[in-house]
Amino acid sequence: MRDQLGRSCIQVFLAGILWCCLAAAAMAHASLTGVVPADGAVVSVPPKTLSLSFSEPVSPLVLRLILPDGQARTLESFVLGDRTLEISAPGDLAAGTHVLAWRVVSEDGHPVAGSTIFSIGAPSSAPQVDREAIDWPVRAELWLSRIAIYIGLFFGIGGLFAVRWLIPGGADGLPIIRAATLLGMVATTLSLGLQGLDALGAPLSNLMDRTAWRAGLDTSFGLTVMVLLAAFLLAIITSSRSLVVSRAASLAALVAGSGALALSGHASSAAPQWLMRPAVFVHGLTIAVWIGALPPLAYALRQGGDLGRQALGCFSRLIPFCVAALTLAGLLLALVQVEEFGALFSTAYGNVLLAKMALLAALFLVVVINRWVFTKPVERGEGDATRRLGRAVVVETMIVLAVFAVAATWRFTPPPRAMALAAAQPASIHIHSDKAMAEVTFTPGRAGPVEVSAIILAPDFSPFTPKEVTFVLSNPKSGIEPMRRRAALQADGSWRASDVVVPLAGQWRLRVDILISDFELVRLQDDVEIAP
Amino acid sequence: MLRTTLATVAALALGTSAAFAHVSLQLKDAPVGSTYRAIFQVPHGCEGKPTNLVRVQIPEGVIAVKPQPKAGWTLEKIKGTYAKSYDYYGTPTGEGVKEVVWSGGNLGDDEYDEFVLRVYLTKDLKAGETLHFPVVQECPDGVAERWIEIPAEGQSDDDLELPAPGVKLLEAASGH
Repeated sequence: MRDQLGRSCIQVFLAGILWCCLAAAAMAHASLTGVVPADGAVVSVPPKTLSLSFSEPVSPLVLRLILPDGQARTLESFVLGDRTLEISAPGDLAAGTHVLAWRVVSEDGHPVAGSTIFSIGAPSSAPQVDREAIDWPVRAELWLSRIAIYIGLFFGIGGLFAVRWLIPGGADGLPIIRAATLLGMVATTLSLGLQGLDALGAPLSNLMDRTAWRAGLDTSFGLTVMVLLAAFLLAIITSSRSLVVSRAASLAALVAGSGALALSGHASSAAPQWLMRPAVFVHGLTIAVWIGALPPLAYALRQGGDLGRQALGCFSRLIPFCVAALTLAGLLLALVQVEEFGALFSTAYGNVLLAKMALLAALFLVVVINRWVFTKPVERGEGDATRRLGRAVVVETMIVLAVFAVAATWRFTPPPRAMALAAAQPASIHIHSDKAMAEVTFTPGRAGPVEVSAIILAPDFSPFTPKEVTFVLSNPKSGIEPMRRRAALQADGSWRASDVVVPLAGQWRLRVDILISDFELVRLQDDVEIAP
Repeated sequence: MLRTTLATVAALALGTSAAFAHVSLQLKDAPVGSTYRAIFQVPHGCEGKPTNLVRVQIPEGVIAVKPQPKAGWTLEKIKGTYAKSYDYYGTPTGEGVKEVVWSGGNLGDDEYDEFVLRVYLTKDLKAGETLHFPVVQECPDGVAERWIEIPAEGQSDDDLELPAPGVKLLEAASGH
């Protein structure tokens, strides 16, 4: 405590002395006269030292290096020459774009700040620094509800379809099928609210809020929920009806349920829609027919006898076609979504697909064993084989559940297709004041080398040509001080700066300095979102 | 320790000193209805380059402008019509110098100089306010420093990157 007090006293004393010096100091402020590596430079090897030269002697306040991954490192080791600051660069600099953000105080006591950029190897686009915080409870609930919906749709509705159309002996499984359907119905309902929370960025505690549910309904997922609920309801109320009614209803529920999947989601929103939506529909429908038949088949096999054999025969005749259609549709979806082979490894979406394919490989292995090892003996009526097949079907079901769990994470991973599309999108902002307006476009609107262009208009939308236009970019959250880039007037009347590197994704503050005449300067400022 | 001290200094500096930086007027206040010697102090060039040209805009309400010639510099007076007619010791004055340019000189970045105008601050100017003289320094290669920003309502010079030099206007001296 005493120590602290002493230190504060010394600080105040020193500050006082310095303040006196300041008052007497020359009337000047420092400006940056040189940087090594030069602003915007691309160097082949990591620099050992960074140097900043100023027009006046300076003392550094803060020196920070923002690395390509968005982390900031404070630079402590520097040598102050007359007017040059030699800073030792960290030895472990990786390739990519670095920002040296500096804040110095000059003799006159005026703090001056700026940022300078250099790239090692090549300019990089970097991960987003201030990535939105992920609300894990909401996310976990969304994931669980998604799995439950799959269970309801594939085991519930698909199971009912199987019992009514394919495996009459599996009717013992009806309670399970009903339970799955009910689970799907509850999860579907709940997911509407969760979807709303996710869309609003609200916490789980707001689930009782009406706005969350309304927001959920407003997303494209709202329609999916409605149709799914109708399908589940239809399946539940007709599950114990007479065969004819129940058959028709189970078919209708199957078609509606699979159709609901095609109404929203990543895959359904991809182009070409006329191909992708049917592909999603076929994929969902064939999964339901195949997977839904597994539990009833297991029941029928446990019953044994003719009924079990009949069921197995029916299943093994139909299912290969079903799986073929399923695989084709799945491959088509994957091809469109992933686009490039490398994206399988480099994107979360691709990784999920790989995990899913690994599980599917295991599943198909079990399927093949069932088909070629167990099916024949069972059809011949060997009881031992029947039990083993029954167990294998349970294993199949478990793997399928794991596949659902993996596939449900796709809800959170944009496919490479969508990411590439978003990344190529320019970012535009319109800023206006009562003196001037600017339409500014970043092409592309993502981190890395970009071209910034602006159309400058008078407040009444009439074009006018200012003397000078300068873009000033800063990122206060990441500690990146203003970087200025002069724009050049183009033949089409726009102002363009093509030597801009936006080192990090996230929210940037753009200021457009418009020099209208020798003595009139208008500054327009707004925030712009730069994609990763 | 060094950093905290420097930070304290910076905070202090921010609070006290912006007036020290940039192109400024040596005489910080003057009564309206009087003659004022506007001495522009130019402490440095643009980004290390020498200053070749100094351009001063005469604000409305300032008349009878007489620049002081400087050896080695070409003086230019750009005249025009004022927004209204001002009274100059009984003479209605509707036009005069609106901009003064010293050009062709070479003031090194590590040198200091002063540029002087003698002007009359009319009584139409409001005592209590600050009168700003926007100044442009031009250097080789099209580089310029423009001290042309005038604080808006509620702003101070500290909030501006390029504040125009200003003089605080005082009440007119009594008697005559």
